[in-house]
Amino acid sequence: MLRSLLAAAFAATIAAGAHAQTVKIAILGPMSFVQGENHWAGAEMARDEINKAGGINVGGKRRQVELIRADTNEIQSVPDATNAVERVITRDKVDFLIGGFRSEAVLAMQEVAMDAKKIFLGVGAAHSKLGLNVEQDYNRYKYWFRVAPTKDVDLARTLFAVMGSIGQQIRTELKTDTPKVAILAEKAVWTEGLIAAAQKTLPGALKMEVVGLWQPSATATDVTAELSAIERAGAHIVFTMLSGPVGISVGRQMGERNMKAVAWGINVEGQKEEFWQAAAGKAQFVSTLDTYSEVEITPKTIPFVQAFKQRYKKAPTYTAATYDAIMLLRAAIEQEGTTNADKLVAAIEKMTHVGTGYTSTWDKRHDLIWGVGTTAGIAVQWQDGRKVPFWPPQVKGMQPFKMPAR
Amino acid sequence: MYLLRKGWAELKNEVFVLPSRSLVLLWVVALLALPLVYDDAYVLRILTMTCLFAVFAASWDLLAGYTGQVNFGHALFFGAGAYTSGLISLKLGISPWYTVWAGAVVATLFGLVVGYLCLRLRGSYLSLATLAFPLIALGILFAFPNFSGGELGVSGLRRLASTPTGNYYIAAVSMLAIVFGLWALADSKFGIVLHAIRDDEVAARASGINTPRYKIAVFAISGAAAGFSGALFAHYLRVAGPSALEVALSFQVVIWGIFGGAATIYGPVAAVFLLYPLTEWLGSFKAFGELRLLIFAVIVLLVLLFMPRGLAPWVRDKIETQCPRCKQRNRAWRSACRLCGASL
Amino acid sequence: MNGGVYALLAIGFSLIFGVARIVNIAHTAFYMLAAYCFYALLTKTGLGLVVSGIVAVCAVTLFSVVCYRLVIEPVREHESAVLIATIALALVFQELMLFIFGGHFLGIPSTLEGSLRFLGVTIPYQRLLILVVAAVMLAVVWFILYRTRLGLAIRATANDLEVANLMGMNVSRVAMATVAISVALASVAGVVVAPVYVVDPFMWLAPLVTMLAIVVLGGLGSLKGSLIGALIIGYVEAITVFAVPAGAYLKGAVALLIMVVVLLVRPEGLFGVAFEEER
Repeated sequence: MLRSLLAAAFAATIAAGAHAQTVKIAILGPMSFVQGENHWAGAEMARDEINKAGGINVGGKRRQVELIRADTNEIQSVPDATNAVERVITRDKVDFLIGGFRSEAVLAMQEVAMDAKKIFLGVGAAHSKLGLNVEQDYNRYKYWFRVAPTKDVDLARTLFAVMGSIGQQIRTELKTDTPKVAILAEKAVWTEGLIAAAQKTLPGALKMEVVGLWQPSATATDVTAELSAIERAGAHIVFTMLSGPVGISVGRQMGERNMKAVAWGINVEGQKEEFWQAAAGKAQFVSTLDTYSEVEITPKTIPFVQAFKQRYKKAPTYTAATYDAIMLLRAAIEQEGTTNADKLVAAIEKMTHVGTGYTSTWDKRHDLIWGVGTTAGIAVQWQDGRKVPFWPPQVKGMQPFKMPAR
Repeated sequence: MYLLRKGWAELKNEVFVLPSRSLVLLWVVALLALPLVYDDAYVLRILTMTCLFAVFAASWDLLAGYTGQVNFGHALFFGAGAYTSGLISLKLGISPWYTVWAGAVVATLFGLVVGYLCLRLRGSYLSLATLAFPLIALGILFAFPNFSGGELGVSGLRRLASTPTGNYYIAAVSMLAIVFGLWALADSKFGIVLHAIRDDEVAARASGINTPRYKIAVFAISGAAAGFSGALFAHYLRVAGPSALEVALSFQVVIWGIFGGAATIYGPVAAVFLLYPLTEWLGSFKAFGELRLLIFAVIVLLVLLFMPRGLAPWVRDKIETQCPRCKQRNRAWRSACRLCGASL
Repeated sequence: MNGGVYALLAIGFSLIFGVARIVNIAHTAFYMLAAYCFYALLTKTGLGLVVSGIVAVCAVTLFSVVCYRLVIEPVREHESAVLIATIALALVFQELMLFIFGGHFLGIPSTLEGSLRFLGVTIPYQRLLILVVAAVMLAVVWFILYRTRLGLAIRATANDLEVANLMGMNVSRVAMATVAISVALASVAGVVVAPVYVVDPFMWLAPLVTMLAIVVLGGLGSLKGSLIGALIIGYVEAITVFAVPAGAYLKGAVALLIMVVVLLVRPEGLFGVAFEEER
């Protein structure tokens, strides 16, 4: 009797001890979709790299990284996402949370995480409200940091920076003073601000003419009406703000019509490897913002992208920045020597982290501070079935931007 | 003392004689006592959501099961309650304890309007029309993003209680109150009239019943309950978004209703308590997680094939039988009816 | 162009409702299955476009009959149970496609390359193909319904189930045949549309709503009504997109609004017959 009790106690302490040996990180994402897959893939790469090197040094003790994969199913159900967060906090007793994608769901997930005072590193949701919460109620929301992407407002700045670059190329090649731009933005909340900004900046600072605004639905499969009108208006650039499958339809139909205008902007579907095939090989010259390519944004970018491609047979998308999130955590933990959330928050606020896609610093909203070459990301163009990076031009590895023959 | 003895006599004679009633009593006790023994925040969260959805499902049953108005857009009321309560508490700063009632009131208004519009419709036509309403509402919400938050909805809503246990009790007590209220309503003369309307509206009208009034009233009551649960839902998640109005939610409540057993009130509640934690639990397994909806749909299909009247009536038929003479229910294993002595 | 596709879907849906009184929510889900089947055959096997298309249509049609026998027929008595069953079926298909193919959007190469410039508007041949195929299928269906004995049986059963039964028609077999024809129409729509649109596991939801609107507008159970309703709604959608460039999002809501108005004002739709309360 006593012996079995002792054995049980012994086993329990071993188990408890074993528990304390790992740093538990929950990876939250829609795992049946490409965003979640990338969340997990980036995290796995970080975990394996860290554990192979011996783990994280927490105040002298080495602890391995343990990942908990949590499918939030956020695209289909917001309550499922909050349930998942609660589960990993309460059941799996994780120390840190990383991930999220759909802004509406992440807002709710943020609440659960803040209730439990767990550090939640956002990788995927761009909505400003997430950062605004930090500013308005610092003590509650300070555990939130956005690791990727930059907040939606800053995306606009990047867009216009690239737009300027493309505009210059058009001016030189086509010998026209004022390039004409057609705005093709899906009808959604996130585009409203961007459209307003575009309508001000394009004619203003960039000296381009806005020939019209078209707003298809995010799931529209047929944009011939819009494209016909754009053709008639004589646009040189189609400024896209598309996140749904309409991006595929636009690429395909522009190619099918042999349109002379070139598409630039946000085209989330256009960032995916499958885009070329999904657009039936027609989406030549479609260009979009992106994060990862084999160019040297930071010294870590090329090795990461190559290793990712080798392991998973496809290129990473921006949600694979979970890799950076974990590396950031490691840096902070090793610097502070503890996994205490409050101390880490203070540390991260002051850090500059050289990641794989960004060189990151944070502002008082715990959003990324914008800068070309640091956190603005890159721009890529589809040429003959491949995504070719072309901006910022001064970075090593960039190729020239191509336009349809006239 | 007398009250205690009376209470005990009531229990013995009314509740324990029927296994289904004992089960209900057990369930109520378990529900209320749970946080005292098991304080896990995750379990409490799941059960809180279950309670809220149970109210939602029960309200649908009143409408669809009893009155035969199969509502395919019940999420409209849920979303109306959620958005109203959320918006009022956010923009005007009023405590959620008051705004949830406002949510219920607005949902009732929606119920009245929809009920009135659907008076002339029957069967599948009514279902199709009701399907459209939440989608139209969604379109309107998206058209005014500054007011409604567009696709993101409103967030940062205040909680009703600050601890998981507190929220749980709010949800559980509301659920018990509303469900028992609905059940009492359905079991009363009002309920009999509803049955009559469903089975043969022309005959009911011929008997002098003012059927349009009843139909609209049921829409209103059902809307109120659904709106209340929607408002509680919004304040629990602290987000009221378009996901509260989506078609998937409307379909979900129809599935719960039919699966549990239409026209019973307790059927859909049982269905929610069974299915929601089950699908959530399945979701936590890595292998199954992504198949969760698939398994759910398959289960529903199987139940439909083998228990077409729903789960609750099927279970009830297994544990209770009806006396041939006095038509009262008895425990299935009894040999003689407890009231009239006829052999079973 | 869209009108043609919607017509195919609407007529099939109307057929099933008219004959078997089944509101088949899974109708567009079969359309999705056909598109996926077509995609799978094209990419995994070496069959050409035409053969893959035909095989896909036949496979899905057969499958639908099997589904009908297994799932729908046993519960035909309870109208609400049938409704749930079709919803559950549609969900099963969606999840299966999600599981097998992932949530990505898939593209299928066009059957016909090139396009036609007509009055300043560019129309890709693929879309003309849709129109042509839709017209052909409609002609075929018309022929079946009005010139064959099976068609006669179908129309009779749609008209009055009990009397048809009394007259010696095997109602359940007629129902199966109707299901087959109806889903065949939907599958053809799926196969023809797949190269133009994008294939994903949720592609059945949007057409479902519009299709319901069309069927209601035209009159549940009336084929002529579905055809005309499809054309009307197709044009209304196009006009909404054109006239209000920022309101392209609203085109779904507009179709629904039409449906609701029709239901309230004239539930039989344009050409439908008001059904008496049936036991």
